[in-house]
Amino acid sequence: MERTAPEERLLNLLIALTSTRVRMTKQQVRSTVYGYDQGIQGEDVKADAAFERMFERDKEDLRRLGVPLQTVTDAANGGDIGYRIDASASSMEPIDVTPAELAVLSLAADYWRDAALGADARQAVIKVASRVPHEAIPELPFGARATGSSAALGVIAEALHERRAIAFDYASSSSPPSSRVVDPWRIVMAGGTEYLVGRDHRADAQRTFRLSRILGAVRPKGEPGAFEIPAAVSLDSLARGELTGTATVALRPEAGHALRLSGTPAGTDGEWDLVEVPYRHLDTVRSDILALSGAARAVAPPELVEAVRGFAQAAVAATSDGGVA
Amino acid sequence: MTERSRPRVARLLGIVAYLEDNGATPFAELASHFGVTEEQIARDIEQLWIVGRPGGFANDLIDFDYDSFDAGIAVVTNTQGARQIRLAPREGVALVAALSALVGSGTAPRVAQSALDKVVAALGEQTVTVVGTPDARAEIALTLARAIQQQVVVELDYVDAGDHRTARAVEPHRIVTIDGAPYLECWCRRAGDYRTLRVDRIVSAEVTDEDAVTPASGSEGFTLAREYDATIRLRRGGRWALEDIPGVTIEDDGELVTATAGVTNESWLAGRLLGIAPALITVEPEQLRKEVARQAKSVLAAHGE
Repeated sequence: MERTAPEERLLNLLIALTSTRVRMTKQQVRSTVYGYDQGIQGEDVKADAAFERMFERDKEDLRRLGVPLQTVTDAANGGDIGYRIDASASSMEPIDVTPAELAVLSLAADYWRDAALGADARQAVIKVASRVPHEAIPELPFGARATGSSAALGVIAEALHERRAIAFDYASSSSPPSSRVVDPWRIVMAGGTEYLVGRDHRADAQRTFRLSRILGAVRPKGEPGAFEIPAAVSLDSLARGELTGTATVALRPEAGHALRLSGTPAGTDGEWDLVEVPYRHLDTVRSDILALSGAARAVAPPELVEAVRGFAQAAVAATSDGGVA
Repeated sequence: MTERSRPRVARLLGIVAYLEDNGATPFAELASHFGVTEEQIARDIEQLWIVGRPGGFANDLIDFDYDSFDAGIAVVTNTQGARQIRLAPREGVALVAALSALVGSGTAPRVAQSALDKVVAALGEQTVTVVGTPDARAEIALTLARAIQQQVVVELDYVDAGDHRTARAVEPHRIVTIDGAPYLECWCRRAGDYRTLRVDRIVSAEVTDEDAVTPASGSEGFTLAREYDATIRLRRGGRWALEDIPGVTIEDDGELVTATAGVTNESWLAGRLLGIAPALITVEPEQLRKEVARQAKSVLAAHGE
């Protein structure tokens, strides 16, 4: 017998759990929802295991699709677990978007094309479009695309929604990599950079993390509903687009144009042009200076000068014969 | 398998919701609306036809008008209560973060902001917060958008990645936001080739009355030829700086990381490695190692060492 398509089984399950009067137990799902027993053959033990796998996968798919699955325990019946879906909590209200806005949402879906969130973004656009009447969509002379990994963003969004802690390794600009456990409160987008704001368990205080500095995978940790997000999370330092300081950089004439664009001229020093560059993270100025390989010189603040020198010395050490620092 | 089934479930439910809201609809309209072929719409409806409540009797299943189906028109007669599912947290963040990147780049069309506002309002929960104001690139972006619309040449004063400042006449095609930064896809008359330029490195832009004649490139840009493969071993703290190199593979044993990538621009990559120098252990091959050493020594020389 031909196997039932997974989407057919998933839709049958969705409709069954939405239309059930009270709840359905796992056994009821297996025996009445079309697609389960039909897809399972062989001995009892193997068939049981195959059903469990199938059901767990389908529950995960429903969750990823945004369906809140309720578990209903029956005290009178030995506390066995049943499932149902509340139609009013799971269904989509129309979002009143114009054709041009729908076109821009499609751009947003393209943004993640090669990354983990791409499928989620395309699903989201399909959902929005399904409640919008068809009109010719204008072609926009715009595009959007992310090159980095978005896997962390998806995991953080789900953990935030479930009020569940997350664990990850993090390389801050000032200290070696360390493992962090964080209650996620907000994802913040500021000036093209993604941040996570939340409570760092070890520090027991609010901290801000740059997503690009998370090393490897983000994993949920502990149970859902483990914390509450404070009503007022202060995002002041990020909100002001706050530039934390100003560096002075000396540039060779006809060099450092990108730094010149982001700074203001501040006189000359012999053959060098001086530029004052406002910065948000000192390490980006440090990287810019290093990448100009001698056409730029750090002048102030002293920690910048020291860092540039230290990094250049480390690079020399790592690339000298023998190669080991 | 499940990767493909979720988007299809979203579309199948989308078709039901669309038909419920809008009544009889030709396959062609559904196909255009959901971005698939008419044949796929027919297959989707045939799939929906055999889906429904437990029981499996004819009146338990989603139903369509049979005669209309034969005429290429979809009419749903029984939905069995199937409705489109609200946006999932991951879907919400995927849309909001991408729209925020567009808006934050300062070059997005105005509808990006209104679309963002509507999606945020619909999500109800504030997962993503957008802060800060787009910078002063807006005026240059406006000039570029006007030139794209009028299909005319625009004259740019531009600083390239190698830090060279040049004047160039380009035929602008599209503004693309990559990782939150805006780029201009264009035909560069000076190079005689397609180019992708960073908008924040455009010093000035002037619209001319000369017609743009070169069609937009169908390709994705950034098709640089790789010169050789590099292998970089480093302490884990530097991993983040290598994760976005195109085509990189990273092996991570918890302490040490080995990154392998095709090198398309040696001096750029060497400069990137200087930025994480304390984490570097070995750089291969010798050609790249020498370039890193040369640049590091130039930096030290500039700092009086």
